[in-house]
Amino acid sequence: METGWYPVALAEGLERGTSTGTRLFGRELVVWRDSADTSHVWEDRCPHRGMRLSFGFVRDNHIACLYHGWQYDTSAQCRYIPAHPDLAVPNTIRVATYPSIERLGIVWAYDDLDSDAPQDIGFAERAPVTPVRSLYIDASAAKVFDALVLAECPSLKDAGGATQRSRTDALASLKSGGDEILVAVQPLSDVESALHIVIAGSPDVHSGDSQKRVSAWGEALRREIEGAAGYAGELRHGVAP
Amino acid sequence: MSEITLYDFELDENCYKVRLLLSVLGLSYRKVAVNMVPGREHLAVALMTLNPRGSLPILTNGEFVLSEAEAIMTYLARAYDDGNTWLPAEPKGHGTVAMWLQFASRDLHAAYLARRLAMFDEPGDEVALGLAARRAFRLMEDHMTAREFDRAAWFVGDNPSLADLALFPAIALSRDFGIEHEAYPALRRWMRLLRAIPGFMTMPGISDYY
Ligand code: FES
Repeated sequence: METGWYPVALAEGLERGTSTGTRLFGRELVVWRDSADTSHVWEDRCPHRGMRLSFGFVRDNHIACLYHGWQYDTSAQCRYIPAHPDLAVPNTIRVATYPSIERLGIVWAYDDLDSDAPQDIGFAERAPVTPVRSLYIDASAAKVFDALVLAECPSLKDAGGATQRSRTDALASLKSGGDEILVAVQPLSDVESALHIVIAGSPDVHSGDSQKRVSAWGEALRREIEGAAGYAGELRHGVAP
Repeated sequence: MSEITLYDFELDENCYKVRLLLSVLGLSYRKVAVNMVPGREHLAVALMTLNPRGSLPILTNGEFVLSEAEAIMTYLARAYDDGNTWLPAEPKGHGTVAMWLQFASRDLHAAYLARRLAMFDEPGDEVALGLAARRAFRLMEDHMTAREFDRAAWFVGDNPSLADLALFPAIALSRDFGIEHEAYPALRRWMRLLRAIPGFMTMPGISDYY
């Protein structure tokens, strides 16, 4: 694992006032969007007793932990402890956070907790993009990239000729003529990945048919990747009580 | 006058499907609490006489007796939902809702068994059930993803239907048997909307915020 920027969600799919749990290299993260529309990526651990914050809920610009109701503001600082309503909460009670940014319609996290000097993300914003979907695959990120290196760009509005492919650490681009799709790969664990797929280009052009085509393309890719190792691939899910 | 009676176990997701529908339809009914676990009362003579399958829920209305959650739901919708919003009268809509009801009782049965295993220590192959449940959830996720491209919010048609109510409990309760909602962003959005249906109610394991 290298320190760097990794995708954790499609920006559009993360609704205002909601949170969701996800993982990077097996570590649990909570991704949430406050009422002012800013997204946040934190460690999914309540400083009180370590329960997952993603099981709690977002209200009025804070996350409330499900278990004993401790509330954290947008700077991850604990502001309220229901059992001690009059207490001025010490500044030391704070959730560990990941630097995060929205780019290409995707929420990205820099996987170094509480880093105050994250490196540059390494690619520019390219608005507008059309979000397609997040697709969860039972295979490692390396296997996903192996498949993306051979994949054909699905043809959309402006198909033309052979697929040109390029990639950075966590992002692959597939281009054919004027069509381009971008696939950001999130390593959930050693054997699971999430693909966050967007079309480069305006939703005015691409919503509807192109989204469906790219989504179906993603499902076929998922079948191919997982099929290579039998259904569920390398993964054997334990079912926790 | 006949009275609707539901033989119910609070922690059972199939009973919950019927409670949920009765609630959104605003119907009053009598609830008979059956101690399914650990009491196994659903297998006692009185209930086996009513339903020889030995399953819950059972619904009675006067002399009429019906078992199986999805069948009960279609009965209640036809009998009490004058506008046919929960079970469309139009043939294609009706057929599609029926398909998802079948999915709820067949494809999601693995999720039901996985939960019984995790919660009540009933027998079963944990790994196989977990994989089958995830396969069913994935089909639901792919369906709702495609629906969103058509700007549709529900499993079938423009309104919530019996399909949504019957499919909801298994995924909403999946953390009970160790399946997180991480991989199901479209289902998360749908589950959030579903909680806003007038008359929505919860059961143990399902919160009203999400
Ligand atoms: S564990 Fe979060 S408030 Fe107690």
